[in-house]
Amino acid sequence: MAESTILLIVATIVNALVLSSMYILLALGFTFLFNIMGILNFAHGVIYMIGAYICFYMATVVGINQWLALLISVAVVGLFGIFMERFIFRPFFGNINSIIVVCIGLITVLVNAVAISQPYNVQVTPAFVQGILKVGIVSLSWQRIVFFLIGVSLLILVLLFINKTKQGLQMRAVAQDLEGAILQGINVHFVSALACVIACALAATAGSLMGSYLSLTPYMGNDIMIKVLEILVLGGIGSINGVLFAGLIVGTLDAVLPIWLSGTATQAIMMLIIIVILLFKPQGLFGKEVRA
Amino acid sequence: MILSIKNISLYYGKAMALDNVSIEIEDGSVVTMIGANGAGKSTVLRALSGLVKINSGEIWFSGKRIDGTSPTNIVKMGIVHVPEGRRLFPALSVMSNLELGASLRKDKAGIKKDMNEIFEHFPRLLERRNQSAGTLSGGEQQMVAIARGLMAKPKLLLLDEPSLGLSPIMVDELVPIIKNINQTGVSVLLVEQNIGLALRVATKGYALQVGKVVMQGDIELFKSSDIVKRAYLGD
Amino acid sequence: MGSMIAARDSSSRRKNYTQIILYGILICFLLFIPLFFQSPYVLHLFILTLVYIIAAASMRFIMTSGQIPLAHAAFLGLGAYVSAVLSKHVGLSPWLSLFIAAFVAMGVGIFISFPFARLKAFYYAMVSLFFGVGLLQAIESLGKLTGGLAGITAIPTLFNTASKVPYYYCFLALTLVSLVILYRFEVSRIGWNLKAIDQSYLVSSSVGISEVKYRVLAVAIGCFFVGLAGGMYANYNVTLSPSSFDSSVTLWMIIYVTIGGMNNFSGPIIGTAVLFLIPQYFSGLKQYAPFISAAILFLVIFMFRNGLVCIPGLLMAFYKRKKSTSKSR
Ligand SMILES: Nc1ncnc2c1ncn2[C@@H]1O[C@H](COP(=O)(O)OP(=O)(O)OP(=O)(O)O)[C@@H](O)[C@H]1O
Ligand SMILES: [Mg+2]
Repeated sequence: MAESTILLIVATIVNALVLSSMYILLALGFTFLFNIMGILNFAHGVIYMIGAYICFYMATVVGINQWLALLISVAVVGLFGIFMERFIFRPFFGNINSIIVVCIGLITVLVNAVAISQPYNVQVTPAFVQGILKVGIVSLSWQRIVFFLIGVSLLILVLLFINKTKQGLQMRAVAQDLEGAILQGINVHFVSALACVIACALAATAGSLMGSYLSLTPYMGNDIMIKVLEILVLGGIGSINGVLFAGLIVGTLDAVLPIWLSGTATQAIMMLIIIVILLFKPQGLFGKEVRA
Repeated sequence: MILSIKNISLYYGKAMALDNVSIEIEDGSVVTMIGANGAGKSTVLRALSGLVKINSGEIWFSGKRIDGTSPTNIVKMGIVHVPEGRRLFPALSVMSNLELGASLRKDKAGIKKDMNEIFEHFPRLLERRNQSAGTLSGGEQQMVAIARGLMAKPKLLLLDEPSLGLSPIMVDELVPIIKNINQTGVSVLLVEQNIGLALRVATKGYALQVGKVVMQGDIELFKSSDIVKRAYLGD
Repeated sequence: MGSMIAARDSSSRRKNYTQIILYGILICFLLFIPLFFQSPYVLHLFILTLVYIIAAASMRFIMTSGQIPLAHAAFLGLGAYVSAVLSKHVGLSPWLSLFIAAFVAMGVGIFISFPFARLKAFYYAMVSLFFGVGLLQAIESLGKLTGGLAGITAIPTLFNTASKVPYYYCFLALTLVSLVILYRFEVSRIGWNLKAIDQSYLVSSSVGISEVKYRVLAVAIGCFFVGLAGGMYANYNVTLSPSSFDSSVTLWMIIYVTIGGMNNFSGPIIGTAVLFLIPQYFSGLKQYAPFISAAILFLVIFMFRNGLVCIPGLLMAFYKRKKSTSKSR
């Protein structure tokens, strides 16, 4: 095999892994909110965008260390999650149309606020990790590897949290039978708020990292939200295994297809694939009969 | 009196579900509430556990007024509601379901001890402790539901139609279970349409009809009552 | 339930009477609008409002069957482009192409909704979203006919005049006719069955063959009218570009429906009128205009859960309560 082919393959694989892990972090948060509160948080992409900009702002304008900036972004956006639970999701519990409207209102405000306040040139958060790893003829930036590792370890942490802790058990209980959970004395509002904080913190992490991996635009949230929705539909909404599996597929397609195709064609083909799969499996690959 | 419900009324939207209902439960007793479908029995229990808000009246539990209290605090005070249809967490194991019953308790050792005790009383659950609750038989699910309620260490246990969907043999098994629970000092409010079961375990009864208490008193009164015989036939 | 029906019966006659008067006043007002507002720009806004009212009302019609058609703006675009291409490149009369566009939109709607009818609410919404994106990209990629990303220009118009007045009256008539037809469908047996299907999502999905039939029917009717609206838009506006029909436009249509009031036929009409026109008034603020829209959204959704249509009812209740308290004093 030619050297350039090997390089292309390795670069594509790494790119696929990084994209997948970031997509999965977002889709996982979305799934949390859906399972626990029965809401579809279409503003999740915008949360991701805000996380990216907070990190960027802290790292460039304020000028602190990128990792510290990341933490601040996660903390601020996590707090915003509590606000969302209390003032957006709780009042409109079970009312999908209204939630859509509120989310769109939120998206409109935040996207335009950022668009107005930011200059038009391309902005990128400074690299979190410098340096390049050389193995034989292959060279990879350490940043990519670190991002992938962060993605995977957060994923493992979240899964451990759900499956091994008391709070995680309560979350699963709320997801399976809300009224049953209330009758056990479980504080559903607290569990919901916790889910929101986790979901928002994951989105902020992904956003902060992607701000350095790709670049920042006020519309980055809308673009990635399409990816998240693709993953959810493909995997079956509400299924965590589905998110992991579909996340890998979508991330890989996203890394591979652009080698041959233009951006819009990539989009179109992905959607075509998903529509065809759904025609055979109307509940997604891992879906079961759920609230939606 | 461990519980006194004083003249509560409740509306779902504009439809009246409870009309001036008063019920009293003496500490350590088993009281039953009977009535036809839609009489408002479950609604009384839902009001007690804070799932729905009453529109007027008062609810007192061990000397404290509890209407308007959150469901979490009501469980904390010792009222535990085993709902109609069981409402288990179907994808979780029997053990996890029981653990969730003890959600508000902090004493790890006590939880462990109670869980073992429950497995002694319900050996069938021990065999199936790692099986997911949704795959159990109806009778087993009802036992998990009751056991889950007991894990919260209730002072007053609200049982909503535990006999629903059970075979006559399984219903017979409920009698000693409820009596045993009561013997450990737990008061019980048993909602039933299976009057046979209700008459066998309770010492006092209330009959509800379209949101009103139409008959109340000692259980002997119910055993000889014409109204009950008619209600028994589903009138 | 029984008491509710009885209550409605006793007051329905008076209500009908006032309703007819109100509609009469409204239509008179609409007829005189070109006299009140001479500015072509204002008239332009009213004309666009009419187009979007048809689009939003037809969207709500589909939504009554429990399907959220997130490809609806793309269908608006389909209608617009078909009509534009037929009248410009094929040389058909704009009037004819307008109606052909409506039928093409309906045909495509029927074609996709047979396979999509198996999908449950969320999946249907998402798949139609993806389909809409794909449809728009297909339109865009037919660059020779559609002008691609830059769009199509010099579309033949319906009237040979620079004045907007004939368009206004013509579109007003088309809108009223469309609304009446949609309303007739909604109160007919078909409308009943559509609502029953929506409910049955909660109970069971085994309504069987008729469920598919009615879901397809809902989409067919909805797509016909949105295709018509698209054709009207094309042969009025002279130019088209894909960005006027992307998924954000669909989302705004959902907002028109929800803010106006999903449970009421007049919801999308009121919602479109208010939410399309008011932000235009502030368009001088340019980049800050979206904030006005968002502010209206939040205001309405937090204050009036059931949409703007419930305001008269709330006012009545308030008035009655005031009267009764002042009486009791
Ligand atoms: N969430 C609700 N919304 C509106 N009405 C309700 C609601 N829950 C119950 N109702 C109505 O309140 C009345 C009492 O219902 P409830 O469930 O308390 O009856 P029940 O005595 O428990 O009947 P069953 O023996 O069938 O369980 C019924 O007419 C019922 O239709
Ligand atoms: Mg009941």
